[in-house]
Amino acid sequence: MLSYPFMQHAFLAGTLVAAMCGIIGVFVIARSLSFIAHTFSHIGFAGASFSVLVGWNPFAGLLLFTGLSALAIGRLGVRVFRRDASISVVLSLFLGLGILFLSLANKQSGFVSSILFGSVVGISGADVVRMVVLSLAVLLLLIPGYRMLTFDSFDPAGAEAAGLPIRLLSIGFLLLLAIAVSEAMQIVGALLVFTLLTIPAASARCLTNSVLRMLLYSAALAILGVWVGLTLGYYTNWPVSFFITAFESLVYFLSLRFTR
Amino acid sequence: MGVRIELDDICVSLGGQPVLDRVSFVIEPGEFIGIIGPNGAGKSTLLRVILGSIQPDSGRVKITAVDGSPAPRRAIGYMPQTRLIDPELPISAADFVGFGLPHRYRPWLNRADRGQVGELLGLVGAAHLAGKPIGRLSGGERQRVCLAQTLAGDPEALLLDEPTASLDPAMQEQIADLVSGICREKAINVLFISHDVELVGKHADRMLYMGEGEYSLNVHRSRRLLGGT
Repeated sequence: MLSYPFMQHAFLAGTLVAAMCGIIGVFVIARSLSFIAHTFSHIGFAGASFSVLVGWNPFAGLLLFTGLSALAIGRLGVRVFRRDASISVVLSLFLGLGILFLSLANKQSGFVSSILFGSVVGISGADVVRMVVLSLAVLLLLIPGYRMLTFDSFDPAGAEAAGLPIRLLSIGFLLLLAIAVSEAMQIVGALLVFTLLTIPAASARCLTNSVLRMLLYSAALAILGVWVGLTLGYYTNWPVSFFITAFESLVYFLSLRFTR
Repeated sequence: MGVRIELDDICVSLGGQPVLDRVSFVIEPGEFIGIIGPNGAGKSTLLRVILGSIQPDSGRVKITAVDGSPAPRRAIGYMPQTRLIDPELPISAADFVGFGLPHRYRPWLNRADRGQVGELLGLVGAAHLAGKPIGRLSGGERQRVCLAQTLAGDPEALLLDEPTASLDPAMQEQIADLVSGICREKAINVLFISHDVELVGKHADRMLYMGEGEYSLNVHRSRRLLGGT
């Protein structure tokens, strides 16, 4: 299996993206941003479709649309986007825009399928390099911001009382989330970005009450899910995304039994 | 030690309504001030003005160290009134206290940090709660842990916004005793908002009574600084 370059690319990119999503996911859950992560994926779909229309690399449009959205949400405050109605409106609008851009670009359904459902085994060498660089950049940026982000995520009232720059932290984290969503979309697709960004972190939360261990468990479970998905996908020819979601869901329900 | 807090002619309006109107007073280093008043009298706003999170429309706040130099923002420890803690929050009390340590960029806690967290939990009588998830603690236990977190920043003044709200009377007494003990032991300022005159009056050097558009700062009980009984 690993003798094929496309599988090597899938394992390498998948592992790094999973580690990043597992770690970012702990903060997504703590900050109750699951649905913003999901909204980003729909915004990313519109961005990728826009790229196709204007002849860019789809990833450029993904990053542009999600990044701008992160800045807009950061300025308005995430509370506005925790409202059901706001999320529904934004989801619908960007899904509609995505469909419009694809229609104008007269694009084949294969592209739609790869954006919506992921295309981990279709990742090129150049994609791998880009994913490695971006994932490492996100993880490196998290190191100096870790303490403040942890404080603000798990005890926002305390962080504000302690005088932390909470608005800056919020915008910074949303930008990192935008990058994570854009990358995860390549692995599991827009519709299943939830999988890597929330389920491993939710499982880890059941297993420990230490923040550091939560990050380690979440990253490990996300990586394991990608490895299981790629291996079973290779041998059965069933969709990799299905195996990743099935594995992560199974782990989540099992970890509920071990809730501390 | 503590700090000197001087408010000079402070006016604050929120939503077009005047909340603080020409408030001026001085709090000397190490004083315990009880703050009493009805809802809407501006007690929480007053603390936020001192903290610097609300800018007054006019007037000035001057906070200085004992040597007269300007005190940094971290010299003020603030415990907000509302702190929604998810009962499912799986963070240990020790980690929760560690959030409040002053270093912001080093991701890990070293041995000295862990020792300090242990000492703080001991100081507030919560050493036995170190490994327990904060979400599963009782109201009184949480307040102790929150107080330890605020103390982790090594403040010279503690601004406590109704720290005994929604606690039973016995627990209210314990928290007030604890805060008073810390104030005396560390010689830091405490500004303690409460609706219970008896509770806070037992410990306060002076009481600040706030009503709508009026206030008075009285000598409630003379002690060290005021040279009385």
